[in-house]
Amino acid sequence: MKKVLPFIKTIKLGDVLIIFMLMGLIIFIINKSWNTPIGQYLKIEKNNEPPKIISLNQIKEEKIAGLLGDSNISIVDGKARFSKAPCTKKYCIHQGWINKVNQTIVCLPNQITISITDGSESYDSVNY
Amino acid sequence: MIFRNLIFFLIIFLCGCGQKDRVYQYKDYIFGTIIDIKIYGETENKSKQITNLIFDDFQRLHNYLHPWEKSLISDMNHAISTGKSFTIDDAEIIRVLKENTELSQKTDNFFNPAMGKLIALWGFHEDNIKQSIPSSSVIKDFVTNMPLMEDLTITNNTVSSKNKKFQLDLGGYAKGYALDRAKIILQNNNIKNALVNIGGNIIAIGMRGDRNWIVGIQHPRKPSAIASINLLPGWSIGTSGDYQRYFMMNEKRYSHLINPISGFPSANSQSTTILIPPSKNSGVLSDVYSKPLFIAPTEMKIEIAKKLNIKYFMIIQNDEKILISNEMNKVIKWIDLKDEKGITVY
Amino acid sequence: MVVRVMTPLTIKTTTEDHFIAKLAAIAIVLSIIEFFLPSPIPGVKPGIANIIILYTLVKFNLQTAVWVSLIRVFVSSILVGSLMAPTFFLSLFGAISSLIFLFIFQKLPKKYFSVISLGIIAAFGHILGQFFIARIWIIPHDSIFNLLPLFLISSLIFGVLSGFITNTLLEHKTNRLPN
Repeated sequence: MKKVLPFIKTIKLGDVLIIFMLMGLIIFIINKSWNTPIGQYLKIEKNNEPPKIISLNQIKEEKIAGLLGDSNISIVDGKARFSKAPCTKKYCIHQGWINKVNQTIVCLPNQITISITDGSESYDSVNY
Repeated sequence: MIFRNLIFFLIIFLCGCGQKDRVYQYKDYIFGTIIDIKIYGETENKSKQITNLIFDDFQRLHNYLHPWEKSLISDMNHAISTGKSFTIDDAEIIRVLKENTELSQKTDNFFNPAMGKLIALWGFHEDNIKQSIPSSSVIKDFVTNMPLMEDLTITNNTVSSKNKKFQLDLGGYAKGYALDRAKIILQNNNIKNALVNIGGNIIAIGMRGDRNWIVGIQHPRKPSAIASINLLPGWSIGTSGDYQRYFMMNEKRYSHLINPISGFPSANSQSTTILIPPSKNSGVLSDVYSKPLFIAPTEMKIEIAKKLNIKYFMIIQNDEKILISNEMNKVIKWIDLKDEKGITVY
Repeated sequence: MVVRVMTPLTIKTTTEDHFIAKLAAIAIVLSIIEFFLPSPIPGVKPGIANIIILYTLVKFNLQTAVWVSLIRVFVSSILVGSLMAPTFFLSLFGAISSLIFLFIFQKLPKKYFSVISLGIIAAFGHILGQFFIARIWIIPHDSIFNLLPLFLISSLIFGVLSGFITNTLLEHKTNRLPN
């Protein structure tokens, strides 16, 4: 740990201030993200089409046709993920499961996005 | 100088950490209907406390106004049906009776709370609707002696009626009245932002944070919304529909919205929706005024809307064509519109 | 760089040009290495080449640093084959944003702030610039901001590290003649 000494010699008061400020910012943002509730619905979006909203409370394999081909979306246990995709890099599949409101996985090549929503984004209450 | 800017920046950030941007939601089943209250920008304790006040008040109203269960009003109805007079020691109820008389006059009796007996004949006075069609002679007899609110005589705190068929059914009024009550309770307790939904009738208090409360309008034939609308602070929305209380017989639909002229359920509309701007009894109006728009013959609907000064209305007719006012058309956001050409704007 | 149209024998390059070229070369190499590192959002990188930019800023001036930075972005982009691709714009906006932040904060009193602060600020600016473009072009959802904490942490770490490394380089180099 001999490298620590020159480091401590270099660092100054202002540096510490900036480091703490940035850490404060990070904690603030993390706090905001962690306080997001678990969602009830999955929103599936294709370019230029109105979103399809389906419930997460089911076991389902949803096939969505995109630009390159069909993407498979698995819904199990309140979570969702891409299980199959026609893109080359398969980033979307590697993102794994999502279940918290606002969590999103995008498959850019196939132009399909899935995100978790609590369903209330369209309206707060229904008049009947 | 940069220090100051940085610290200023940091303080702004920290102030953004509010605990009060949550919405607390409570549901209950009172008055034969689901009540859904959302409160924004208050602590959980206060939200719960005030909501309980509102639920308690509704329970009280249920005990006073229920059309067929044991209540003050059903006692009154019973007395009248035996030709007796009835004393009401509650000034609030007397006011309610007078308001109902006034409103039925204004709507040319298309809103007629005095014909509870007819509604009961059609089987709608039970939680589980009795599916029967009364005989035409019974209906004709009723229509000939159609009881109206003007048949009710109110002298100080005694009520009576010469028409023994008179039976008060506040089903088309009570939800709106409860909305106005909720509004007062929220105001008195300094709650500035809330959304109260009583059996589909909704009033918006304030806003939901930095946006308006948004309300979905039920599709008359699907379990989803046909449109949504921003409900501005203080505004109420009410809908009468043939999909709420009805029964099917021989593939024909019979809803609880009876036309007092024919004695039969009105069948020219699937639903009518109105928006009422803030006023003391806007809740009541949002409930009551949707009835004449639903029940009246098609050719009279627009005229009635004008007469009642309803600027925001939408009527989904039986053939799925939509009549909509110009103002309503400007603010409505369609979610599930089948045919753009089926809309007529007034 | 503007190519002066002259006879070959009379192109004059200054020593400063040499520095810029050398520094840019190192920055380009670092950039290319970084290109092959994986990232949660494709193309958004911490910016290892920032070390060179910082060094240039302190040793010379901001203007020189701007040159080095822009050369770095363009050339590494050409070499990697991503000119005009989203990666290029991410890189470009990251670099510009970083330079803007450095411009604002370069006059921080040396008594309280060392190069480490500049390193953090440059890295922070770099990430912000990249996030801005990523939000507009690559993932047009607000949910992209869920990844912001991860990148801010990495920019904090890299910022401190790059500042420290730059400082070390500066202290060593003062003992040698610039060549």
